[in-house]
Amino acid sequence: MVAAFDAPPVRITAVSQVPTRYVAALGGVMSYFSSFGVSPELIRGALGVALSRGADDADLYFEHLETNSVSLSDNKVNRASTHVDLGVGVRVRVGDQVGYAYSEDLSAAAIQRAAAMAAEIAAFGKASRPVEEPGAARRLADRYPERVPWDTVPMETRVQMVRAWERRSFELDPRIRKVEVSLIDAEKRILIARPDGRLIEDHLPMTRAHIVCTAEQAGRRETGSYNLASRQGIDFYSPDRVERLCQSAVEGTAILFEAGKAPNGEMTVVLGAGSSGILLHEAIGHGLEADFNRKGVSIYADRLGQRIAPPGVTVVDDGTLPYARGTINNDDEGNPTERTVLIEDGILRSYLHDEISARHYGVNPTGSGRRESFRHVVLPRMRATYMERGGYSAEEVIGSVKRGIYCKTFSNGQVQIGAGDFAFYVKQGFLIEDGKLTQPIKDVNLIGNGPAVLAAVEMVADDLQIDEGGWTCGKDGQSVPVSQGMPTVKVGKLSVGGQG
Amino acid sequence: MDLFALAERVLGAARAAGADEVAIGVGRSSEASLMRRNHQIEQATQAESLTLALTLLVDDRYSSHSTSDLRPDALSRFVERAIAATRVLEPEPERRQPDLALCGRGVDEATLDQYDPASTTITGSERRELTEQIEAAVDALPDRSRVKSATIHLGDSFGESVRLMSNGFSGSHTWSGFGLGVEMTLEEPGGRRPEAMSWASAIHRADLPPLPWFATEAWRKAERRIGSGPAPSGRYTMILEANAAPRILSVLGGPLSGSELHQGRSCLAGRLDQVIGSSQFTLLDEPFIPRGLGSRPYDGEGLRAAPMPVVAGGVLKNYYISTYYGRKLGMAPTSGSRSNWVVPPGTRDLEALIAGVDRGILVAGFLGGNSNGLSGDFSFGVHGQLIEGGKIVGRVSEMNVSGNITDIFQHFVEAGSDVWRYSGVRTPSLVFADVNFSGS
Repeated sequence: MVAAFDAPPVRITAVSQVPTRYVAALGGVMSYFSSFGVSPELIRGALGVALSRGADDADLYFEHLETNSVSLSDNKVNRASTHVDLGVGVRVRVGDQVGYAYSEDLSAAAIQRAAAMAAEIAAFGKASRPVEEPGAARRLADRYPERVPWDTVPMETRVQMVRAWERRSFELDPRIRKVEVSLIDAEKRILIARPDGRLIEDHLPMTRAHIVCTAEQAGRRETGSYNLASRQGIDFYSPDRVERLCQSAVEGTAILFEAGKAPNGEMTVVLGAGSSGILLHEAIGHGLEADFNRKGVSIYADRLGQRIAPPGVTVVDDGTLPYARGTINNDDEGNPTERTVLIEDGILRSYLHDEISARHYGVNPTGSGRRESFRHVVLPRMRATYMERGGYSAEEVIGSVKRGIYCKTFSNGQVQIGAGDFAFYVKQGFLIEDGKLTQPIKDVNLIGNGPAVLAAVEMVADDLQIDEGGWTCGKDGQSVPVSQGMPTVKVGKLSVGGQG
Repeated sequence: MDLFALAERVLGAARAAGADEVAIGVGRSSEASLMRRNHQIEQATQAESLTLALTLLVDDRYSSHSTSDLRPDALSRFVERAIAATRVLEPEPERRQPDLALCGRGVDEATLDQYDPASTTITGSERRELTEQIEAAVDALPDRSRVKSATIHLGDSFGESVRLMSNGFSGSHTWSGFGLGVEMTLEEPGGRRPEAMSWASAIHRADLPPLPWFATEAWRKAERRIGSGPAPSGRYTMILEANAAPRILSVLGGPLSGSELHQGRSCLAGRLDQVIGSSQFTLLDEPFIPRGLGSRPYDGEGLRAAPMPVVAGGVLKNYYISTYYGRKLGMAPTSGSRSNWVVPPGTRDLEALIAGVDRGILVAGFLGGNSNGLSGDFSFGVHGQLIEGGKIVGRVSEMNVSGNITDIFQHFVEAGSDVWRYSGVRTPSLVFADVNFSGS
């Protein structure tokens, strides 16, 4: 399931300054978490307890998250929020079985209590493997360096930013009556410790900006919004990007005055470049997460190596795009992430693996083991999912459609993994009549079956865009940030749930 | 740790650092979960948690904060930074705390019965046995060989929370929760693997359905998805099964809220005491249901809870208005959030409702979809069964239902007698006439 930033309530955030960024080596552990008392002895002691009943493997996942937000409504910057989360998750694995516990207290005694609880999954009575001395903490990549980190930015600067964005949004269209703005930033530090001595650490920034406009014309009101997100510091908000943020929010609202009701029934659908990647996320992505296939509950189980899409369709899930919301330097098991080709020229090539599913299938993990926080177990998850570009121009794709709809912006989607049925909600689009975009439409759910829709992909354009929106993917009660992208694509038949 | 003592300490620190008004919430919880599949435990989790939330008013400037880092030094820094962040905002006196006279308990804790002592004594081996018994019921299904996968889910938790406000209000409560379910996947020719889940949650363990029900219900729901596909587009009578009905009721949530009314984004603005549904349609907010999943003595800002009609006989009677939006809108506060929603039951069971429909769709569940609270338009994916001549004649999926919030409840015909108790929305099956479906 995926939702745009503005669809579900989003847990608040806030920032506070962090006095020290990286602490010097202490007893061999060079880690941000040294300042919280995390030492090699503490790590070895906790992992020793975790493995004490004979488990195959274990890991510790330390997390410190600080988020800040400021919001503007009623012409006032009238709300700030801060959120701090600190804790450690202990995972113990026996075969495919997982024991899990967490502690918000980072004292050695508290972590060992959690480790003992997690260890209950194993029942062999004695430790099966030693715990190596932790090496120096390492960062596996540097895909989102912050030029100006959020914890150096005064709160007053954030207030000035949202105020300026509000002013610009009002300037752009006299019909705008109300503007709401929010700016959220987060700095997350993690440290992953494994019994083989690996210590992997990362510092993951995130920011999201969101503008909601309400406009009035001849007594009628419409409301629209736009948001963007990235793993960047304050330098993300360049003048060009801010202008696009404000313009997109205002123009996306104004066009609704011209929008009519969407049509009803099965028809040709053209997915616009960018956020249409929501179709891939729901129709394909979740079904290729290997835990569902290991259990045999996905419609794509047992189909590796088979054709599941027409030639010319290549779908990728990529954790390496610089600064993208779904990008990671390492996954939450401490493994390197990668660019995983899921479908190559129509042939199913790979699932998305964490360590458990990789062992099951006898392959290497794809660096897709992710979790919402230290309170959650690792699951195979998407990162940035997109379709590679094809050979047509967007104009050729649209021009080939006699009657259909063109989907431009989306709010949310959902899939049933086994049946393969999926849906996504189109906030705004257009009718296509005789090869041209005509009447704007809004608010319509589209529904289809994953394999059937893949088979119905008729044209792929050359204009791939990775969407910059603040997409959040939900699975088994866990939310993780993701990205998605798409070139303009024509699908021969989808069910459109309009009223027109 | 004494939660009140912690709350008082943080409240005192915030006041000393310059806050004019402070509200503290502290919650402690203990939770465990178990997943069982293929005759072994697949995942077992346990945790204890303690978190603190803080809202501040500093020179009429408002902010909200939360933390799980409760080390004394960290907590002091947290409070100082929270106050510093608040000072840079613009004042909004409407954010002041509610009058103490409006705060308090609407009912005593014993009446709500929100805590089951069994939640603190359940052991790991008892959890295993419960999931084993449900798995045995799955294995005993007549068509067990058609089950591709069945995962048994169990979760239990208990905790206590306190709320302390500088206006003089203080409250605390203890709570518990149990949940059980079976996630089942079948296989059909052609490769589709329809899945369904039986799930029930309750405050008291004894209120959960009998263990075999979880197996038979998951089977019933999954089996009815075999061979499904879209029916022709058109207008049908819609019967919502009781545990699917909350999705349609949820479209009312946004437009009824004070924030959406104030921002001019509600299709129900100005409709108080007007007809928005048929005379058969009533929706109540009932905070005092013993053991109710949404029951409460006071709401999130300490306002004394009270039963409230939302829609009575088709007439809109109340919005959800917090203290802040009440002041902005010039309206008396009701509450900013719902407790239990209740649709009063009728007299006929689901079978009788189906028998009374000539051409209809029995909706068993939803897939995706959303609504626009300003225009009122909604569109949801659905799956379920096709009804003709009072009988189930087919299975449907890949269909959408669409309409408008201000119109759909005018089409409400009847409530069934089969109330789904395992939700904060207590509704029976609901019948709507002449609803727009799109399919093949």
